[in-house]
Amino acid sequence: MLKNFFIVTLRNLWRYKFFSLINIVGLAIGLSASLVIFMIVSYEFSFDQFESDKDRVYRIVLDMNRDGFEGHSAAVPAPLSKVVKDAVLGIEQAIPIFSFPGDTKADVHINRSEDKLVTFKKQEAIVFTNLDYLHLLNYRWIAGDPPTALIQPFQVVLTQSRASEYFPNTPAADIIGNRVTYNDMEVTVMGVVRDLNQASDFRAKEFISLPTIEASSLKGDLMFDVWDDWMSYSALFIKLSPQATPQQVSKELNLLYNKHKKKESYFSKINLSLLPLADMHFDNRYQSADFRIAHKATLYGLIAIASFLLLLGCINYINLTTAQASKRAKEVGIRKSVGGAKNQLIFQFLGETFFITLLATLLSVLISPLLLHAFTAFIPEGLTLSFLGNPEMIIYLIFVTVSVSISAGLYPAFILSGYKPVQVLKNQQLISFGQSRQTLIRKGLTVSQFIIAQFFIISTVLISKQIYFVLHADMGFQKEAVLTFNTPRDTVDIHRTQIKQRLAAMSGVAMVSNGFTSPAMEGGAFSNITYQNGSEEIKPNVQVRWGDEDYFRLYQIRLIAGRQAIQSDSITEIVVNERFTKEIGFQRPEEALGKFIIYNDKQVPIVGIMNDFHTQTMRAEIAPVMFQGRPGNTFHIKLQSEPSDWSKVTASIEKIYKEVYPEDDFNYEFVDDTIKKFYEKEQATAALLRWATGLAIFISCLGLLGLVIYTTNSRTKEVGIRKVLGATVMQIITLLSKDFIQLVLIAFAVAAPIAWWTTHKWLENFAYKTDISWWVFLASGVGMLIIALCVLGIQTIKTALANPTESLRDE
Amino acid sequence: MIKITELQKYYRTEEVETVALNSLSIDVQKGEFVAVMGPSGCGKSTLLNIIGLLDDLDEGSYKFNDIEVAKFNERKRSDLRKHNIGFVFQSFNLIDELTVFENVELPLIYTKVPAAERKKRVEEVLEKVQIMHRRNHFPQQLSGGQQQRVAVARAVVNNPKLILADEPTGNLDSNNGNEVMQLLTELNDQGTTIVMVTHSEHDARYSDRIIRMLDGQVVMTTVG
Ligand SMILES: Nc1ncnc2c1ncn2[C@@H]1O[C@H](COP(=O)(O)OP(=O)(O)OP(=O)(O)O)[C@@H](O)[C@H]1O
Ligand SMILES: [Mg+2]
Repeated sequence: MLKNFFIVTLRNLWRYKFFSLINIVGLAIGLSASLVIFMIVSYEFSFDQFESDKDRVYRIVLDMNRDGFEGHSAAVPAPLSKVVKDAVLGIEQAIPIFSFPGDTKADVHINRSEDKLVTFKKQEAIVFTNLDYLHLLNYRWIAGDPPTALIQPFQVVLTQSRASEYFPNTPAADIIGNRVTYNDMEVTVMGVVRDLNQASDFRAKEFISLPTIEASSLKGDLMFDVWDDWMSYSALFIKLSPQATPQQVSKELNLLYNKHKKKESYFSKINLSLLPLADMHFDNRYQSADFRIAHKATLYGLIAIASFLLLLGCINYINLTTAQASKRAKEVGIRKSVGGAKNQLIFQFLGETFFITLLATLLSVLISPLLLHAFTAFIPEGLTLSFLGNPEMIIYLIFVTVSVSISAGLYPAFILSGYKPVQVLKNQQLISFGQSRQTLIRKGLTVSQFIIAQFFIISTVLISKQIYFVLHADMGFQKEAVLTFNTPRDTVDIHRTQIKQRLAAMSGVAMVSNGFTSPAMEGGAFSNITYQNGSEEIKPNVQVRWGDEDYFRLYQIRLIAGRQAIQSDSITEIVVNERFTKEIGFQRPEEALGKFIIYNDKQVPIVGIMNDFHTQTMRAEIAPVMFQGRPGNTFHIKLQSEPSDWSKVTASIEKIYKEVYPEDDFNYEFVDDTIKKFYEKEQATAALLRWATGLAIFISCLGLLGLVIYTTNSRTKEVGIRKVLGATVMQIITLLSKDFIQLVLIAFAVAAPIAWWTTHKWLENFAYKTDISWWVFLASGVGMLIIALCVLGIQTIKTALANPTESLRDE
Repeated sequence: MIKITELQKYYRTEEVETVALNSLSIDVQKGEFVAVMGPSGCGKSTLLNIIGLLDDLDEGSYKFNDIEVAKFNERKRSDLRKHNIGFVFQSFNLIDELTVFENVELPLIYTKVPAAERKKRVEEVLEKVQIMHRRNHFPQQLSGGQQQRVAVARAVVNNPKLILADEPTGNLDSNNGNEVMQLLTELNDQGTTIVMVTHSEHDARYSDRIIRMLDGQVVMTTVG
């Protein structure tokens, strides 16, 4: 029986090649999108699933609050790690993780032989921790003695990959006892463990014993005894005992913390809480440099896109199969008359769908590498895309093939198997029983396809419009042709002045300034000041910027009133922006001139007022800014107008930089590029949406083409008669296209408000936004219509031009 | 074998109700060859479809081998059908995607006959209808008479006790028609019961008995 079904399937597939192709391609596109997205999503959800007792592991995190301004930190005060296990009941293990201050990286030196010193610059993934870390992650020991490793200062355990990087061609056992120098701190290798091969946010590859910190200068650098402050290099994980509840433990934690902290903090409220391991990968409030947060909403968005594309493919299948059902009706009638039961037929048609889906799945495996382009921005680092070696992937492929077969095949199977032999076999001609309801369903499905496509078009245009807006809007300062670079933290003033003079004299450089960051930065640098207006204290949350006397001129920031602040290393006077003056209660900005604010317990006068400029991304409101006259670690260089010469200029700048700082790398960035980077996520979303739109349009149009071919084929005789009776080509085209155009218009009417609402919601992320203009809707609708007309045109024009005698002859 | 009493069959369309069969009663004995005749629209095909359990009846009783089948559900009907009844239609009704061999094989597949046995039986019957040499052709590659012979082969491959033929020669010239009638007669001689609808007095003469219908009723029965 199976063989018989299979033969019919194959022959039908071949006989209606074009329709089969539409079905397969449509499904394959949806399937490959879903494949890639499945890999991304399952990878993100696979993080830290392997730890034993992972339900009892928590990261201690910090929440702070001041006047409704909330802050979050994944780092905690360092001394907490020393006392927490003994002081708080219910903690089975405490796992502190510290890293090198600065950029968490260290230069690693290995003395391979007498006179051969090998240096690995800026090695990442080095932590200070204890043995529990290795236990938690179930590290397998290759060499070394677990109980004694990481107990004493200056001990280190390496993963196999690092061990063989540092000591190539050396058996693990012989690596034990060797010396490794981190910056200038020498430690002994106590063990080698196998690298992890599961996805984890615990990414360290070298584990230095915790006591090393206290025995070295790191003690001060890492503020190892400071309760009232914390650096981002200090993380703390705990494993609760089975009886303990997180509520009770976090309560005790806060008691402990409050007991130790001395100073009245800047924040009115600081609260320690426990972040479950399972949430760590997704909670973007607690970001930290040592791992990457995945964004759940983005993942759900990706899933939605995959589902939509799959849905579009299924709709094509349903539409084309039911439209063509009459061609199969005779077969159904015959099969029934010779004894085929209805459920056998359902099974047969479902089997056919399964077969087609299977072909589509195979095709999708082939084309998904192409589709990866669409998702590059969303593919997490560490994810390798492989199909075969991955059992999850195979299971997913089977699952998705079966479920798509059922979603696409069930309805057609019922329609097809429902034909009654008496109706069908009567005289070879189908009596259109129930046809009108089917047609309605088909129309409904086509409308849904175009709703999805239209929705994607409108949202893509609007999102791109917003991105254009944020990138091109006047930010209140000059951002073109300005590049910035940082000098090392410990730069002395004399170097700075030297560099500045040399740069300013360089040809191709228009102007040089030196200060803090450029006017707009991603996060912002906040500070708090107090203003006494006579009756009350006003404490606005302000942004701070500083720079030398050329900063304003370079960025073309205007002084509205007063003068620039004089240069000084301590704050003696400030320039504020208009917003600042409003914030402290002045109608007219210049009224604020000469007023004093209190900053760090010091009275500081306002000597100038500058125009408002964007201090952060367009997501945030323009903040009040206070500007101080003092140099900083960032150089701002305005280049002369010819972009073609810029690379020469940057090369010369680098030369000067290297002369002064031979040890350091020269990294520069153009200010407008920095600003572009503010919106990387939006740009990635837009790129993905562009792909989704393209694919959605493509799949829907394939379906439309299939339907119109079917309809025109079944109406060739009618068209012939009409032409004989005198209809013009245009009339015929209109006749054939009218119904479809109606569907596209209905889809537009439904999609437009949905797209308006969604983009409106999305735009709420921005304080400054583009208009949701009516012309976007008009253009998108017309665009869709034109595309649909082109697709329809392919077939309708052909039919309309056909010689009527041909279609009428075979009567 | 067939005992139908007081059969009523209506067709309802949006505004009109047609009485296709009106208190019709007939008996067909095992081994008989019955021809049904009558003007176009009198209900012959409807009757045949009801006998073949392809269509249901509105009132009356239908006993097939003494079993009341009027109220059978779709599943029981298809069961009964596949083991007992073969159909031959005026317009052949072969599946275009299947070859001659595969078309004939179809009923055996549904009755779960093993593959080897199927091959043997299909070949036997193709031999019998003399179409063996065309076994791998598709229906479109055959003449009308050949197609109908395939259809007959398919109807008999399961050794049904009853063959229902609706104008089997309607689309054939007289030579081809005679061949098909010859075939049916042979089958009848071997014991198969046959009910055949026809417009041709010539073909009707092959039968044992002619039932004449008018407006959904039997008006006369002639024994040949
Ligand atoms: N599906 C249907 N819907 C409505 N009326 C029908 C249907 N099928 C048959 N009829 C009507 O029932 C009556 C009997 O039809 P039937 O097909 O049985 O006639 P017939 O005797 O086989 O005619 P012919 O010799 O032309 O094949 C006719 O009046 C026909 O119009
Ligand atoms: Mg008839």
